[in-house]
Amino acid sequence: MNDMTSPDHDRPPCTMACPILTDGREYIQLIAERKFEKAYAAIRGLNPLPRVCGRICTHPCEGACKRGQVDEPIAIAALKRFASDGPWRGRCKALQPAEPTGHKVAVIGSGPAGLAAAHDLALLGHHVTVFEALPVLGGMLRLGVPAYRLPKDVVDEEIEAICDLGVVMKTGVRIGEAMKLKDLFDQQYGAVFVAVGAHQERKLDIAGADAFEGVVSAISFLQRSNSGQNPKVGRQVAVIGGGNTAVDSARSALRWGADAVRILYRRSRDEMPAAPEEIEEAVAEGVHLSVLTSPVEVLGEDGKVTALRCMENRLGQPDANGRRSPDPMAGSEFVLDVDMVIAAIGQAPESSFFAQELELDQRSHRIVVNEAGATVCPGVFAGGDAVTGPATVIQAIAAGKERACAIDLYLKKKWHPVPGPARSDERERLSSAIIEKTRKFERAKKICLPMDRRLKGFEEVEAVLTEDRAISEALRCLHCFLGAKIDKDKCVSCLTCLRVCPLQIPRASKMGEITIDPFECQACGMCALECPVQAIDIDLHPRGDIDREMTAAMSRSAHPDPLMVGFFDLHGDFGPSDKERLRQEHPNILPVMVFGLRRIDTVDILKAFEWGAQVVFLAGCPVEKDPFPETREAVKQRMARTKTLLNALGLDGERLALCHMPKQGLVDKAFIEDLEERVKEMAPNPMGVKRG
Amino acid sequence: MKAGSNLERILESGQFAVTAECGPPKGPAPTVIRRKGDLLKFCCDALNVTDNQTAIVRMSSMSGCVLLKEVGVEPVLQMVVRDRNRLALQGDLIGAAALGIRNVLCLSGDHQRFGNHPTAKGVYDIDSIQFLQMVKNMRDEHQFINGEEFSGDTPFFIGAAANPFADPFVFRVTRLAKKVKAGADFIQTQGIFDMAKFVEWMTMVKDRGLDEKTHILAGLIPIKSVGMARYMRNNVSGLSVPKAIVDRMGDAKDPKEEGVRICLETIEQLKEVDGIHGVHIMAVAWEDIVPRIVEEAGLMPRPIV
Amino acid sequence: MITLEQKPFEEIEKMTKGCGRLLVLGCETCAAMSLAGGKKEAEVLAAAIRVARKMSGDKSEVLYDAVARQCEPEFIDMTEKEVAQCDAVLSLACGAGVQLLAERFPDKVILPGCNTTFLGVTERLGVWSERCAGCGNCILDKTAGLCPIARCSKQLLNGPCGGSVDGKCEISKEVDCVWQLIIDRLTKLNRLEMLEEIFPVKDWSPAGHGGPRKMVREDLES
Repeated sequence: MNDMTSPDHDRPPCTMACPILTDGREYIQLIAERKFEKAYAAIRGLNPLPRVCGRICTHPCEGACKRGQVDEPIAIAALKRFASDGPWRGRCKALQPAEPTGHKVAVIGSGPAGLAAAHDLALLGHHVTVFEALPVLGGMLRLGVPAYRLPKDVVDEEIEAICDLGVVMKTGVRIGEAMKLKDLFDQQYGAVFVAVGAHQERKLDIAGADAFEGVVSAISFLQRSNSGQNPKVGRQVAVIGGGNTAVDSARSALRWGADAVRILYRRSRDEMPAAPEEIEEAVAEGVHLSVLTSPVEVLGEDGKVTALRCMENRLGQPDANGRRSPDPMAGSEFVLDVDMVIAAIGQAPESSFFAQELELDQRSHRIVVNEAGATVCPGVFAGGDAVTGPATVIQAIAAGKERACAIDLYLKKKWHPVPGPARSDERERLSSAIIEKTRKFERAKKICLPMDRRLKGFEEVEAVLTEDRAISEALRCLHCFLGAKIDKDKCVSCLTCLRVCPLQIPRASKMGEITIDPFECQACGMCALECPVQAIDIDLHPRGDIDREMTAAMSRSAHPDPLMVGFFDLHGDFGPSDKERLRQEHPNILPVMVFGLRRIDTVDILKAFEWGAQVVFLAGCPVEKDPFPETREAVKQRMARTKTLLNALGLDGERLALCHMPKQGLVDKAFIEDLEERVKEMAPNPMGVKRG
Repeated sequence: MKAGSNLERILESGQFAVTAECGPPKGPAPTVIRRKGDLLKFCCDALNVTDNQTAIVRMSSMSGCVLLKEVGVEPVLQMVVRDRNRLALQGDLIGAAALGIRNVLCLSGDHQRFGNHPTAKGVYDIDSIQFLQMVKNMRDEHQFINGEEFSGDTPFFIGAAANPFADPFVFRVTRLAKKVKAGADFIQTQGIFDMAKFVEWMTMVKDRGLDEKTHILAGLIPIKSVGMARYMRNNVSGLSVPKAIVDRMGDAKDPKEEGVRICLETIEQLKEVDGIHGVHIMAVAWEDIVPRIVEEAGLMPRPIV
Repeated sequence: MITLEQKPFEEIEKMTKGCGRLLVLGCETCAAMSLAGGKKEAEVLAAAIRVARKMSGDKSEVLYDAVARQCEPEFIDMTEKEVAQCDAVLSLACGAGVQLLAERFPDKVILPGCNTTFLGVTERLGVWSERCAGCGNCILDKTAGLCPIARCSKQLLNGPCGGSVDGKCEISKEVDCVWQLIIDRLTKLNRLEMLEEIFPVKDWSPAGHGGPRKMVREDLES
């Protein structure tokens, strides 16, 4: 059960799993409601690299997603990319930095950690200069990740946006060499953030590794490849390692024309640290996987590599980290013909430049920092791969953001370390009953470049989700912690909530105390609407929301006669263009978008008639798209009761109509025409505004 | 003799009794009752006057009884607890005794919802069994239901209804025993069409020896048409009309004739059932047929005791 | 609980017509649980009356609110300010609540928006049924925990009558014959012999036939 005393009690699993605590629900819901621009703004408010993350984030959020317990997790990263890639991103108002503080901050390294820190520090009003040793900006984003995963114009655009905040970028300046950290302080920098990444690769430590031409490190291979220089691949390439770098190298080698590329990994496929979908794509593109295989010697002729002697392993006892160690099997040796070996067996920070000024870990060369990210040198903070060793882009961004915060506090002399939020990996589990009752919806399928086009170059493999797929995907969200909240002071223990909940989530104690588990609740809204004492409200579209939306819509524009108020279920299959068409074809229809017809109350309909509507209709989504089809009967019953009330009012219940949306689009033309005919035969609603 | 009525005398002398139902009119015309009395006086030992039967307002049972007495017919005063509380019931009983009425049939009455005043308030102050007890106590102890004594006699031969065809079947006999214990001198049953079930019920009645403690008159309802048969089968709860009866009526060329035949066959069968002391013919709106049935059943002439 | 149902809107509209500024006052206990007169129903009803008034050109205002129980003077008194601003109150409480409201506000028009139906139980969402007639003299110990006063159409104490068929009452196939249920239950409990005894006539005076009822706990009375 959920511990309500914990400050994180209302944070969804996606947020808790995200190093920067991104609330996925917010932009997912905005996409579901076709408010794409707002969705982008919501993402951009927290994440300086949304288009990057939409593509290459390892999305731990998806691993935590509650929907994953039911069928498959929400494609959160793909939705982030959808929201961030769309043309509306240009219309989104740029974030405005705070008043200048007069402080100068130096950021060393322009990878994701450095960029995130620069971005946040700039927004806080500090003057930030980024020093990049290489001639290009972006660090691993530019040089580590191949363009077929992360096109370079995307990186350019996001860096440009950061520059627009007033951040100065200096390339080709390696701090630690000519200019030391202390020199920066002499130049009036108040604080320094060291985020130099982990570009130093671990060397292949087997016989012959240094003896022949054709043995290269993955980092240098990828750096060449990603900067557009032909890395001159062999015909038979072996990539050693199981991480993303290995997979990136293998897929890049294929694109540069290798005939056969083989990844050698010492443990099994399940243990490969690379993202499973990356491995899948690599295999699909033709990369061979040789798992449980270790190279033992590089063989060569005439100074050139010709083969790899390998051994097969079996998995032994788990080590201290719980990973099973690969134990070589005697007599399993074999020789693999290769003419190129790419070693992707790990990286370390290139930190030797700071050896005099900072404390480094002897073995890993990582920069040593305290809890708040401060190094031994006052005013110097460090973070990202340089501190943690190779990690993910979102971890780097998180480090950058956390350090920005620490630096800001340091500069304002309000120094105190900020430990990150305490998080537990413990995941709340849904009961099997709820899993069974939750309607399953298929996860959006990726759209990928056809195989024959992929290997011809570095064109991006995965396309952004189409609008309809993105909307459907967003509608799969189960709205963790956005559901029903009971005001215990008002509750009279009538049990109506227990009886109307399609998932049977509310529980009652013997003394009548009702609890609704905020994790289990999926925010359908039934209980909030049916509660006879209005003790329940809901975070996702609270009571009165429809009324507010209607009032806003009515005040925006005048509608020609006969005014028809149409409530449209957002679960239908329609896009912004359908809305626009409706506006043009039926300007007399005032559309009100609702998140499920079950949220519409009798008072909302009465309100529409008070506004002068001649007709009110409710367009329900096709049943196959309805997450709570069992509530449809209740909607019908509620409407029947409202009709009786309308008849009693002398308004003619026939003015209220319920219809299904078509498979695609908002409403059937025939239905509207029929309604318009019906109106002609009725006496006008006396509350209608006389026009003309 | 408890009341000395003709019906009591016949039953106590061990003879097979015949009673019939005489429904009073929905208006004040005394001739209706008189005509029915004249028609039935020679073929029946006593005539039941119904009390707002099926909860439809009619001339009161008491008045009907008085009119029958005027034409020389012995009445059975039917009384239901639906319309009268204990005060009214007792007052009417004293009046009935004063008017020389000697037979009373104590009933619950059909629910008011079935009649022509479905919005009426039902009284149901006491139930039919308590009613029987009350009448017996008035007769034997000269006491009102509150225990207060009164002077004078209320000599009633007390009757009750029994329905062998209602549920729960087994409990029906228990309930009959309660009625006998409460004071039922005679029993008039629901109309019998399902002879097998009736015989089963009678076996249980005999097992408890109830047939020796009370006089059981078997109920008969002559059927006039297939429509009536069907209506009774489908719409009258507590009446069991087998499908075979409906079919016989449906196939008949002359349904009225067939109805008479069914009724006569039933009487023949009943004569064979041990413990039956008579029949009670409920020819609703078909009283004309009663003399013929009694005649053809070989129950004429009626004995004079 | 006491069950209630909202009066037909036509009737409510008629009784509230022209009565000026109106407060629709919900009652958050039995009326709410009957889904007939809690704050939610008060809101819907107030909206409907407002529409009706708008249509007929009546501009007087319709407000709504609710209190925990209109059968308690303390709660009623809390509405004093609101009621003072109105000409009439449409109470969605049971008859008891309406009357207490009338008692506390002698100079206001007090109207009933609900019919008080019975003492009953919730069978399931939207379905309630009668269980108790409030006869003031409980006999459930003698009838296997099933009340013939409340549930037998003829209130027979020595049932069932001849209209019981297939476990249903003669008045409707929708109504269970409670005597069948009593017999079934006593059979199961092996106590059917209890019914051999004739149940004596009932004293109806505590059931309200002895005049309006009042209850005093002398040890607590203040």
